[in-house]
Amino acid sequence: MTPWHSLEGKSVWVTGGAGHLGAVITAELDRHCRQVVCFDLEGHAEALVRTQNLTRTQPRSLDVSDAALLPAALDAAIAEFGVPDGLVHLATASSSGQLLETLPPAEFQNTLNRTLPPTFVLCRVLAERMKSRGSGSIVLFSSMYGVVAPDPRIYPDPLTPNPIDYGVAKAAILQLTRYFAVHYGAAGIRFNCITPGPFPNPGVQQAHPAFIGELAKKTALRRIGRNTEIVGPVLFLLTDSSSYVTGHSLVVDGGWTTW
Amino acid sequence: MPESSPFSLRDKVIVQFGGTGLLGRALVSSLGNAGATLVIASRNRTALAALAKSEQAAGRTVGVEEVDIGSEPSLHALRDRVLARHGRVDGIVYNAVARTMKTANDDLAAWRTSMETNATGFFATVRAFGDAMAARGSGSIVNIASMQGMVGMNPWLYEGTAMTASPDYFFHKGGMINLTRYLASHYGSKGVRVNVVSPGGIYNPETPQAPAFLERYGKMTMLGRMAEAGEVGGAVVFLLSDASAYITGINLPVDGGYTAK
Repeated sequence: MTPWHSLEGKSVWVTGGAGHLGAVITAELDRHCRQVVCFDLEGHAEALVRTQNLTRTQPRSLDVSDAALLPAALDAAIAEFGVPDGLVHLATASSSGQLLETLPPAEFQNTLNRTLPPTFVLCRVLAERMKSRGSGSIVLFSSMYGVVAPDPRIYPDPLTPNPIDYGVAKAAILQLTRYFAVHYGAAGIRFNCITPGPFPNPGVQQAHPAFIGELAKKTALRRIGRNTEIVGPVLFLLTDSSSYVTGHSLVVDGGWTTW
Repeated sequence: MPESSPFSLRDKVIVQFGGTGLLGRALVSSLGNAGATLVIASRNRTALAALAKSEQAAGRTVGVEEVDIGSEPSLHALRDRVLARHGRVDGIVYNAVARTMKTANDDLAAWRTSMETNATGFFATVRAFGDAMAARGSGSIVNIASMQGMVGMNPWLYEGTAMTASPDYFFHKGGMINLTRYLASHYGSKGVRVNVVSPGGIYNPETPQAPAFLERYGKMTMLGRMAEAGEVGGAVVFLLSDASAYITGINLPVDGGYTAK
């Protein structure tokens, strides 16, 4: 059996699985896995399953931004679908969208609250349930803006530069990945994260072509990322292709952070 | 592997440098298994004849070419032979290494010999083939470095064993990692991606490492063990394939979490 076949018979959960990056990941997993559970905000996952004719994907509405509500929701999902073999956690992209000069501290705090405690709870609940099985692969999502700061000069008015609360939360995901990888390594559960570069959604691409050109110039490959280009990296980390890789931040940024 | 697999190397011409060692042989198997048309380039052609034969018997397209990495004319001749036979090169795996030093007290001549292959030969190889791929506007270079290019030497691992850690290795593997970033920038606009894989220590089932070393090494990783040679191929196939089309300039450790702690 080749490593990239190792999703056959497996169950994978995807949070934020109907978004710009999530949808292509969910669709590819649907082709390989026994079962995919796609979590997203009210109605989004259901719409994805319908429009893409996904046959192995169970859509569920779930807001993963409230840590207090997560344990009960996860218990219910485990009761319904069993403990998954893998998790792709995309739904961590909370952001104030505000300028640094006028960002209220409470908004800064709100982004952290909606990102970090829920990710912590999600990882802990699933890893504890995966433990007895002795295997599992969890893929989190950070961002190049958790590694380097956005350059305010490339954001034309009225675009606000990617806000500080977003980058700080994404930087924390990198350390959360390493901490969990080390903590659960002996249990055979691998934790890694994808650190994407510029993958603006189609709305931004259409509305701000000059900005897209500025983003492209910042990369070694001189272009923004296509959402389908996130799929291979996720599959690599989920499968036995990466059986000896844990605690890693896999950068998918066209070379943005290389220089 | 299904034809639709993003990890497929079907119809890709890959040149692998270095194929006689433990890792090299495992990489030949991984690349062949992923469907590559594989050319193994080595100083010692006869040492690879048996491996190539068994791969061919398994239905894989594997050829062997002789090359002297220390000689630019030899590298250019190899490039021209591969282009003449296959029409193009889609990727290279730089896995060649010269192990000329054992300890920090060795003669400087051993250091110079190491650099001849591991610094100059490495650069000459990636330039010769990088330029050829840039001329076509696409390609992928995967360099095999080491965790020992990322962290310092840990003397505790070797205590009481006959094993040593050679200083030149920590130098040229570290250099390989940052030259990879240079090359990613240099070739990026030409559509050639350049990445590096940094394996942790690999268990040798034929001549196992000292038991004390194995036990200590296991404790230094999060997965509690050394890598198996076959576990590196997944990362290399991934970086050669179109599954990693937006990845360039990265260092991908395959180290069981050794550098995550």
